[in-house]
Amino acid sequence: MQSLYVEGNSLMHRLSPRAKLLSLAALGVVLFIADNIALLSIVVLLAAAVYRAVGLPLADALGRLRPIFLTIVVVALFSLIFNSWHEALVTLLRLTALMLFAATVTATTAIAEFIDEVTALARPLERTGWVQADDIGLAVGLVLRFVPEILGRYQAIREAHTARGLKVRPTTLLAPLIILTLRDADNIAAAIDARGIRRHVS
Amino acid sequence: MRGTGLDIRFEGAGVSFGARTALEPLTLGLGGNRIGIIGLNGSGKTTFARLINGLTKPTVGRVTVNGRDTGDEKTAGADVGFIFQSPQNQIILPIVKDDIAFGLKRRGFTKAEIEAKVDGVLARFNAQALAERRAHELSGGELQVAALCSVLATGPSILILDEPTNQLDIRNRALVEKIIDGLEESAIIITHDLELIAGFERVLLFHEGRLAADAPAAEAIARYKEIAV
Repeated sequence: MQSLYVEGNSLMHRLSPRAKLLSLAALGVVLFIADNIALLSIVVLLAAAVYRAVGLPLADALGRLRPIFLTIVVVALFSLIFNSWHEALVTLLRLTALMLFAATVTATTAIAEFIDEVTALARPLERTGWVQADDIGLAVGLVLRFVPEILGRYQAIREAHTARGLKVRPTTLLAPLIILTLRDADNIAAAIDARGIRRHVS
Repeated sequence: MRGTGLDIRFEGAGVSFGARTALEPLTLGLGGNRIGIIGLNGSGKTTFARLINGLTKPTVGRVTVNGRDTGDEKTAGADVGFIFQSPQNQIILPIVKDDIAFGLKRRGFTKAEIEAKVDGVLARFNAQALAERRAHELSGGELQVAALCSVLATGPSILILDEPTNQLDIRNRALVEKIIDGLEESAIIITHDLELIAGFERVLLFHEGRLAADAPAAEAIARYKEIAV
């Protein structure tokens, strides 16, 4: 199983997971308040510089962002249909900056740290009686753990298509990808239960 | 030193999924330290094992382990560790020592206790070199060792291994066989690798959701070959 975490000693690696997560949340709020294109462009450039400092080779760094960036472009294009070009560009810049900073946080925080920190931050929510902080931490950790697995599955299905001389189409890729992902999710859930990880949460 | 033995009881326990019977109701007790489970694919072996851990609940009857009903959510599986067919699905965190520690954190151990337990279980299998390794970089045998460490760190007295030598090369298979042979815990081994269980005093053979034989290895394997070939 691959990991999104990249070993290194950059400034972002040295920051505490809590500082990174709270900064990400604060940046999200600031980005959605601001609508000045020049300012948002500067934030995008800064976020790109911080992401670049993580230490990933350029091709890997871009490869990780590709699916999310394509989604952002689609959202911006939809925005362009219904809104002005200014609003569409603001949407593109906001989401791009957020994507770059979030990718940096993900690449510089180990999954174990993520789980511990999210669990600690969610602990006060337990007072409502609706949620278990441990479950929230575990859920976030599993999402991060699953992303590279799903990308790996996608590549394997693509290669299987190519090996069989089939044209790679989203319609033929999605069904096996969803089925295999759900099957893996079942296996992981069984492993979590077998290890008593949720059973022992009090 | 081997474990004190199994105390597993099936009391008319069976599993059905709608009209399909995965395991016919079964009454038996499991004792001793090593039990082998064999049978064709889809014969009910894994369902039988999952009942012991509480991963699958019986639709009829009940199963107890050391006197505790595996249907009880709070205590099910507390004494039973389970190693799955694909250990990579069992490893939740990418770094081996983090993954071993993960199950312990959830049990409320202190940081010092967790570190001691992680170091202890790795030392037990002479696997200290795996501590900082990433799971996706490990060989098949190393993955099995990592999965074993994650499970055994929590101190189960019974271990279920589902096809532990599946897809391993000769070297890794030998490594896993040696580890199983040296386990202190009682072990239930589901396998198609008949050599692995050849010396066991008790082997259960499942066929079409029924227990077809409960005998020493040689007898159960002979019966299996009659059925399968």
